[in-house]
Order: sequence, then C-alpha cells, then structure tokens
Amino acid sequence: MRAPALPDVLAALRVALLALCLAAAGSVRAAGFDLQALMQQLAQVRSGQAQFVEDRRVQQLDQTLRSSGRLSFTAPDTFVRETLKPTQERMAVVGNQLTMSRGNRSRTALLDSVPEAVVIVEAIRGTLTGNRETLERYFDTTVQGSAEQWQLDLVPREARLREQVTHLRLSGRQGQVREVHMTLPGGDTSVMRIEPVADAAPAKP
Amino acid sequence: MPWIWLAAMALGLWLCVRATYVADLSAFLPSAPSAEQRVLLAQLKNGATARVLMIGIRGGTAQARTDASRRLGAALRTSGAFEAVHNGEDSDQEAMGRLLFERRYLLSPGVDAQRFSVEGLRDAMAETVGLLGTPAGARIQPLLWRDPTGETVRMAEAMLPAAAPRVEDGVWVSRSQPRALLVATTGADGGDLDAQQEAQQRIRAAFAALGASGLQLELTGPGVFAVESRATIKAEVERLALAGTVAMVLLLLVAFGSLRPLGIAALPVASGVVAGIVAVSLVAGQVHGLTLGFGTTLIGEAVDYGIYYLVQARALGHRGWLREQWPTVRLGLWTSVAGFAALVASGWGGLAQLGIFAVSGLLAAALTTRYLLPAIAPAGASGSGMRERLARFTQWLTQVLPRARLPLLALTLAAAVALAWLPSPWRGSLSSLSPVPQQALDLEASLRADLGASDAGVLVAAEAADEAAVLAAAERIGQRLDALVQAGKLASYRSPAQILPSPATQLARRAALPEAPVLQEHLAAATRDGPLPAAKLAPFVADVQAQRGMPVLTRAGLQGTPLAGALDAQLLAGTDGTPWTALMLLQGPAEGALPLAELRQLVADLPGTRIVQVQPELDQIYAGYLHQARWQAALGALAVLALLAWHLRSVRRLAAVLLPLAASVLLVLAGLALSGAALGVLHLIGLLLVAAIGSNYALFFDYLRLRGDADPDTLASLMLANVTTVVSFALLATAKVPALAAVGWTVAPGALLSLLLAAAFTRAPERSGRNRVTQWPEA
Repeated sequence: MRAPALPDVLAALRVALLALCLAAAGSVRAAGFDLQALMQQLAQVRSGQAQFVEDRRVQQLDQTLRSSGRLSFTAPDTFVRETLKPTQERMAVVGNQLTMSRGNRSRTALLDSVPEAVVIVEAIRGTLTGNRETLERYFDTTVQGSAEQWQLDLVPREARLREQVTHLRLSGRQGQVREVHMTLPGGDTSVMRIEPVADAAPAKP
Repeated sequence: MPWIWLAAMALGLWLCVRATYVADLSAFLPSAPSAEQRVLLAQLKNGATARVLMIGIRGGTAQARTDASRRLGAALRTSGAFEAVHNGEDSDQEAMGRLLFERRYLLSPGVDAQRFSVEGLRDAMAETVGLLGTPAGARIQPLLWRDPTGETVRMAEAMLPAAAPRVEDGVWVSRSQPRALLVATTGADGGDLDAQQEAQQRIRAAFAALGASGLQLELTGPGVFAVESRATIKAEVERLALAGTVAMVLLLLVAFGSLRPLGIAALPVASGVVAGIVAVSLVAGQVHGLTLGFGTTLIGEAVDYGIYYLVQARALGHRGWLREQWPTVRLGLWTSVAGFAALVASGWGGLAQLGIFAVSGLLAAALTTRYLLPAIAPAGASGSGMRERLARFTQWLTQVLPRARLPLLALTLAAAVALAWLPSPWRGSLSSLSPVPQQALDLEASLRADLGASDAGVLVAAEAADEAAVLAAAERIGQRLDALVQAGKLASYRSPAQILPSPATQLARRAALPEAPVLQEHLAAATRDGPLPAAKLAPFVADVQAQRGMPVLTRAGLQGTPLAGALDAQLLAGTDGTPWTALMLLQGPAEGALPLAELRQLVADLPGTRIVQVQPELDQIYAGYLHQARWQAALGALAVLALLAWHLRSVRRLAAVLLPLAASVLLVLAGLALSGAALGVLHLIGLLLVAAIGSNYALFFDYLRLRGDADPDTLASLMLANVTTVVSFALLATAKVPALAAVGWTVAPGALLSLLLAAAFTRAPERSGRNRVTQWPEA
C-alpha cells in the first residue's frame, strides 16, 4: 500500500465526522469500515442507472475488446445490463429469472442453474443492492478503504465457481459502484467503468 | 353331481394356474380414447417420461452429498443399465458435443442462406466476440478459430432448458432443501415392471455400495410408483384373502359348531372364485390384481348361499328348500347379476373385469348351492352352535326395529336433504384410484420441482406419417410459437426439432454452405478492422467445406448418446400404420396463464396438430369413466327394478322391498359425503353392490311377511349371511389400495343397513283373511 495521500486523509476525516453524527443518532457502531458498513451504505440506494464502458483483454486476441452500454438496478433483485456497442445485447435478471436477448432472439433460464452467469450477476447485483447475505454465500469478501472511497474484493467460495471467475474487485465512492475488475482463470481480464446517470429511472426487467 | 362339479373345478383350477395375473395400472386406462387421449396414453405407457427415475441424496454435509452424487452418477453410468444419467456434471456431454460439433452447420438454428454473407459473418462474429472475456466465453475460446460464428453456442442455447436445477459445486442441488439431485433414464420400457424393478434395485445397491454414512437415498418416478403399486396390490390381495378366509371359518364355526357344514359352505365360495378367475382370464386375457382383491369379498357373498341352504334345509329338507326358499335366493341372484351385468360391457378394462368376475362368480356359487349341496347334504347342517341365539337375536331385532320406523324414515329424509344441500361428493379423480400413498406423491412432486421438470401441463402434439414429416411439422409449429415467445405470451417451449432438425432443414442449411473461395472472400471483408484476423480462420473455412458433404443426422444417428433419451421424450416413434408424434411442452409466462384460445387458433390450420391439456385431459378420462359407470349403474338398477317388479307383481310389495334399499343407499351416501370423502367410480360400484345384496335381504323379509311367521332358521341364516358379508367388506375397507377400500367403505355399512332397514320397514305379518297377496310365484 502506498502512503496515504492528502485527499485520503481528508476523506477519512469526513467519514469520521459522518460516523460521529450517525453514532449520535444511535444507528451505527463506531467501528472501522467493514462489509456491514459498506452494505448498509449501498443498501441506502434503492435503484440506479449508469453508463458503462468495458475493456476486455483476451489472451488469443491482440486487440482490447471495448463495449459500452447501460446498467440499471432496482432493489431488491432486479438488474439489467444493456450493451449498445458494438452490438446490441441485453441481460435482465429478476430474482432467479435470467433473460438474455440479442437481436430478435430471447432466452430465459434460471440464474442459479447457469454457473457462467451466477458469479457475475450475484457479485454486481449483490453489491449494488447491498445484499450482504448473498455476497457472503457466494464469495469470500475483503473490504478496504473508507465509506467515501472503498474497495470490495470477492473470491468465489466454490472451487467450481472459481473455474468461472478467479477474482472480482468492485470499487466505488459512498453508495455508488464505480468500477468492476474481473479476472478469469485463463488470465483474461475485464474492467468495467461505471458512470452514474443523475436522473435515475428505476430499472425495468 | 359331485363328479361333474369336481371335474369342472379341476379344469377351472388348471385354467387359474395358467392365467396371466397383472397388477399395473393399465386396467384403469380406457380402451377407446380420443385422439388427445391417445397421445397422452402413449406417452404415459411407453414414452420416455415413464422411464425417468428421479434420485435425491439427503443428509450429511453439502460436500458429502456432492461427492455421493458424483460417485453414484459414475457408478450408474458405468453399469450400462441406464440410457442416461444426469447430475449436472458436464462429463457426459463431451461425446454428444463432438457429434453435434461435427455437424454444426447442418444443426445450428443460426445457419441460413444469409449466415455466410459478409453482413451475416460480421454479425455472427461480433456476437461470438461479445462472449470472449466473460465466463461464458471460456468454453468457446478453444473452438474460436474453428467456430467463429458461434454455432456451438446457438445449438446449446436451443437445447438448454428454461428451468434447470440449481448447480452447486458442479452438481445439481435442490433450491429448497439440502439435497443433491440426479436423473436416470432406464434403458427398459416403463411398462416392463420387472426391468423397472431391477433398475431401481441397481440404484439402491449402487448407493449402498458408496458406504456413505449419514446420507439417505430418495428414489421416485413413474417406474417406482408402478413397481410399488404392484407390490402393494399383491400384498393386499394376499392379506385380504387370508383374513377373509380366517374370518369366515371363525364365523361359520361359531354358527354351526362343527367342521362339516363349514366345509360344505366353502364349496360355493371356491366354485365362485375359480369361475370368476377363469371367466375374467378367458374374456380379458389377463386377471388384474384389483379384481382378485375385489373377488375376496365374493367369499363373504357366496358363502351366504351355502348358509341359506344349510340352515334353511334343516327344517324343510332339500326338496322343501328348493320349493320354498330357492326361488327367493334365485331372485336375489338374478338381481345381483342384473346389477353387475351392466359393468361387463364397460369400455374400461378394470370395471369390465369386476363385472365379469362378480357375475360368473355369483352364478357359479348359486349353481353349486342349487345342485351340489342338496346332493351331499340333503338335510342341511347338523350342528347347532350359536345359531339359536342368533335366531333369537334376529327375532328380537324384527320386533324392536319396526318401532324405530318413523325415526329411521326421518333419518333417511334428513340424509336426502343433506345430500341435496351438501356440495356434490362426486369429485374423485383418476389419481384417487392409484394406490400410491400421498407421501410418495409429495416426494415425487418435490423432486420434480427441484429438477425443473414441470409436470406436463399443456402440450402441442403433432402427428405425421414418418420421422422427417413429423420433425418438419414440429419446426412449422415452432416458428409460430416463436412469435408468441417474442410477444411474451409464452416463456418457452420444447420441441424435438430443437434437438434434431428435420432432414429438409438440414439439407437447406447444407445447401447454404459456400465453396471455399467464396467463403474466404466474404470472410476477408467481414473481418476487416475486426478483432478476429482472417488469417487465423483457416480452420473455420476447412470445417465448412468438410460439412458440405455431411449426411443428415437422423434419430437413428443419435442412438447411444444422451440426446437420444431427450429426443424420445418428445418424439414418439410410429410403428406400422400408427403415426409418429411430436410432443412440444409449453411453459407459460412467469405471470398469467397460457393463451389457450390463441394457441388453438395458431395451429388450427395445421393438419394432425392439436393442443393437449394434460390435467383436463386426465380429468376428462376419469369423468368419462364416471359418466359411463353412472349409466351402467342406472341400467343395472333399472334391471334390478324390472326383475323385482316382474317377480313381485305388486306395487305395494315392490315398494316395501325398494324402500329399505333406497334408504340404505341414501344413508351410506350421506355418511360418506358428511365424512368428506371424495366419491368416485368405485363408490358407485359399491352402491350397486349394496342394492344387489340388500335386495336379497328385503326379498327374504317380504317372503317372511307373506308366510305370516318368521321362522328362526331363516332369520338366523339371514343374520349370519349378513355378518359374513359385512365382515368381508369391512376387511376390504382396511385395504391400502384406495380402489378396494372405497368399495369396502361403501358396502360394509350399506349391507348392514339394508338388513336392519329391511327388518324395520317390513310391516308386521298381515292377519289371515286380509292377506290378499298372491301366492309366492313358483319356479
């Protein structure tokens, strides 16, 4: 770890101040920033919409693959990822129901029967909605940073799921997820940068 | 006479030994179903669904269950006894994957004439690239340069079920409880119960061999139900026969106090049972276990004849008995036979067997009594036993009961009112005939839910002359269903053409494969500035060329792969003359119901295509049974009525005989309705039996009233006959087979009531002089 820079210290101060206020209100214990605190903070945001840009590095290809589109979620369990470029593609999850559409084709499946999808969806949806139970069910979690600027590391608990995704790192500010970094077993990586859209309309599955 | 009887019995016994006995549920399937029912029954009897065994492993830790699932799966796969064993592991899909991969340009739904244009190639490759760098891409990466257009993905998409079990640590697990899941498809037919039993034993043995302590095996499925039902029916029939015989022997010993009359009374019974089995075997070709179970009650019925003779001939001698009492017994016999004769013509095999058994059994028992018993016991039974007390008790009853006539009438009226007021109790279903206990049904339902194997709800069934035509028909229907899926009115559907496209479609796709130079040219244009360089795609061009000469894949080509089982579940092969049938299971939208009217409209112009709703169709079958049985019961009742009217030739006497019968039937019905029982076909049969048996008692009381005195022997024989009947049907009521218990619960109280009510409603003997009734009609 690098030495704390000035903005980090300021951020920490701000968090301490916030924590003090909250502690005075009796709703939060004054311990360090942990998963519980992060989840509470994230759960405050009931729905959101964002734009994303994803860069994937694939071993077999020389180019970096870039795609972009929209993300939206609504607590407790709706999550939609819509890719607009380079081709249109949509993945919507409501509860355990997964719907994937591309062009005029659409197909539904049960999320927990598709190991390829379950890791990514539960990691991102679970974090966006602040669902601690789900995250801990699927992942070993590590939280670093502060409420202002945090970082959540997820490693799938099941060996079989680690064959799908080795490691996920979600980072964000306050109640917002700003980046998802994913490492796949073969060494492929994907980085998704997320930019919240202000006038958030709730997600529709 | 005895020699003729002995010879007949010997022949009968020989035929009995040679008869075929079955205990599956086929006897309860109709023989003349509609087209929809034919589809359904073919599926139930021979379809791949009948070969599916669902397995659950519970207890222990998740890790232990996962290990057990893997090891059990491996053991069953290597045993070779199963066509397919699935537990969520990918291993068994590799061979299948190779077969499909080698023909992907014929089988993939993505391939059409546009697929290999510059535009088509660009779109397809963009889609594939979209998966790279995601977990889903990991599987396609090794194939990237051979399959850049993602045909493998398209084939997998088409075949993956919309509802699959949850996967944990690579194996299927339940969503609702700690349980690992497996599915095994037997190689043997669902109807081959011996082979089914063997397959089930193999699974249990393989699980036991794992030595997994703390884990329990759950095994269910149509084959398990069938095998267990057979065992239950067999055990119950044996138990009932034994208990019935023991009860009869005890009763007769008490009544006669000696062994000889006991032996004699058993002769009509033996004749009846043998004749019943022989008749059923000759007419139906086989004897169902339920018929035998029902037949055990004939012990209680047929023994009555022997009792009547043995007791009544004491005072009258055999000639006197033949003159005085036989006409009454004979009339009772005719009414019973008339009641059951209506069933003989039933289109429902099980019901027809009961009818044949009862008619032939009763006739044989009566004939034995009429011709054999006078020859070997001319003076009736010698012993006295408890009979005098029985006679006194009955006499006392005949004096006491008529005083309760008004309350009993009021009770009967109340029963009639209650029946009119209560919701109809005739709501038994086909499943209520099944001896499968609720617990087993619950286990089946929970495993089925875990496996996402929704029980067949609505099917589209298409018939055609051969494999190629039926697959083409499935494709045509599929195109129309796709529109509904697009509109969100249908979640998904399964079609055999998703596994195996029709030869016409495969040939059209093959014709769309371009020659190498054309493909290379298009590829060069499509890959310009794209992430996949054309230079690396030579394997793709080579594969396309190789498949241009590939023969089409047919059902025969899939044999031995896991796909064969999946295909057979949806494609019923025709034999000479019978058509091939494609079954397409529909899954409704997450919210709301299937648009049935729209579906019917959708396939209305397609020949040989129909929408089959499984549960309504099964209900329809059962409603058909019930409807038919009601007609037959009504006809039987009418025949009984006509016989009685013709013999009695007096409206007043007819009314006197009918009143206790009608009252008994009403009271039994009301009692059953109040108990909350769901009444079905077998209860109806029971009521018919009540009328048939009860008419005997009523006729005897009518006869006694005419004679002016109630002689103790006749009264004693009536009481004894009644007790034996009630006991045998009460035993039947304890059966674990609902079909048999239903008859028992109806007839046991009904028979008792008809005797008591006949005693109650028979007016005291009219004084001589006022007796204007004609003499008892002579034979």
